[in-house]
Amino acid sequence: MEAVAALEQDAQLMLRVGEGDDTSFALLLERHRGPVVHFLYRMVQNQAISEELAQEVFLRVYRSRSTYEPTAKFTTWLFRIATHVALNSIRDGKKEKGHESLDVEIEGMERQVADCQPTVEQEMIQNVKLREVRQAIEALPAKQRAAVLMHKYEGLDYAQIAAVLSCSESAVKSLLFRAYESLRGRLAHMA
Amino acid sequence: MICLNKNEQGAELLTGYLAKTLDAAGMAEVDRHIQDCAECRGLVSVWEKLDEFAAPEVTAGFDARLYARIAAEDAHRPWWRRLLWRPAVPLVAAGALVGLGLLMVPRTPDAGKQASNMDIEQVAQAVDDMDLLTPLAQ
Repeated sequence: MEAVAALEQDAQLMLRVGEGDDTSFALLLERHRGPVVHFLYRMVQNQAISEELAQEVFLRVYRSRSTYEPTAKFTTWLFRIATHVALNSIRDGKKEKGHESLDVEIEGMERQVADCQPTVEQEMIQNVKLREVRQAIEALPAKQRAAVLMHKYEGLDYAQIAAVLSCSESAVKSLLFRAYESLRGRLAHMA
Repeated sequence: MICLNKNEQGAELLTGYLAKTLDAAGMAEVDRHIQDCAECRGLVSVWEKLDEFAAPEVTAGFDARLYARIAAEDAHRPWWRRLLWRPAVPLVAAGALVGLGLLMVPRTPDAGKQASNMDIEQVAQAVDDMDLLTPLAQ
């Protein structure tokens, strides 16, 4: 019930943006900035590119303010834009430019979780696990990757993922299952 | 035991179990199944392994960069695009309709006389049209 209310509120906020209310845009940005950036980060696996793409997503949202019609859930619409932007970026090979920063990013993320003071060995194991998960996700076909990321990390349901990817719910279920099966095969050796 | 992994309905149950969207009975059914099925247990453990993939925090300047891009875009927007501001569109459209209506009045030698005797219903209709369009602009 709370989720429904939140979605309605998002649509209302977006309609207010269309009427020139910039505060409503700030509220939408506050609410969805994290999920959109995190989704894009896991899609392209590069922080700088994911933030650049997220800026493009929110710019498109802002540009659409006067024509926005709440025909679908706001989150669905937002992730449709984000997925479109990510798939275009992957297709255009933008990610290739950012590959060199992958190791630096993993090291940076290690430092972020350094509060619990793991040993050097624990850090190395964690680093290897993270790299394997990232590579397994990266190896998925782009549409399967998007479906898994929306399902696993963003909590979108089958209907929403279907609307984002322009396919049927049963196609999403099959897409997800194939993706999890493929991940199981790639990560089977991980303890 | 037939593995859930082997048919579409079972696969749906498993993905629902992973995302915890099944009802209590469905969750219990899959729980019982994975006790005895290594293949499905492997699938469940994949879900847990994916937790390793944390995303970093959004950098501090994200909003400022976005607002700067929006401001730059607004500054370079052509004047006619600025007129496409939502509340302005129906009012402009109503004005254009009234103007078009006036242009379509046949011009005869005594057009001035006809205009002065313009059908009051036509004016009322135009006013009604504007009233209908105005709430859209609010």
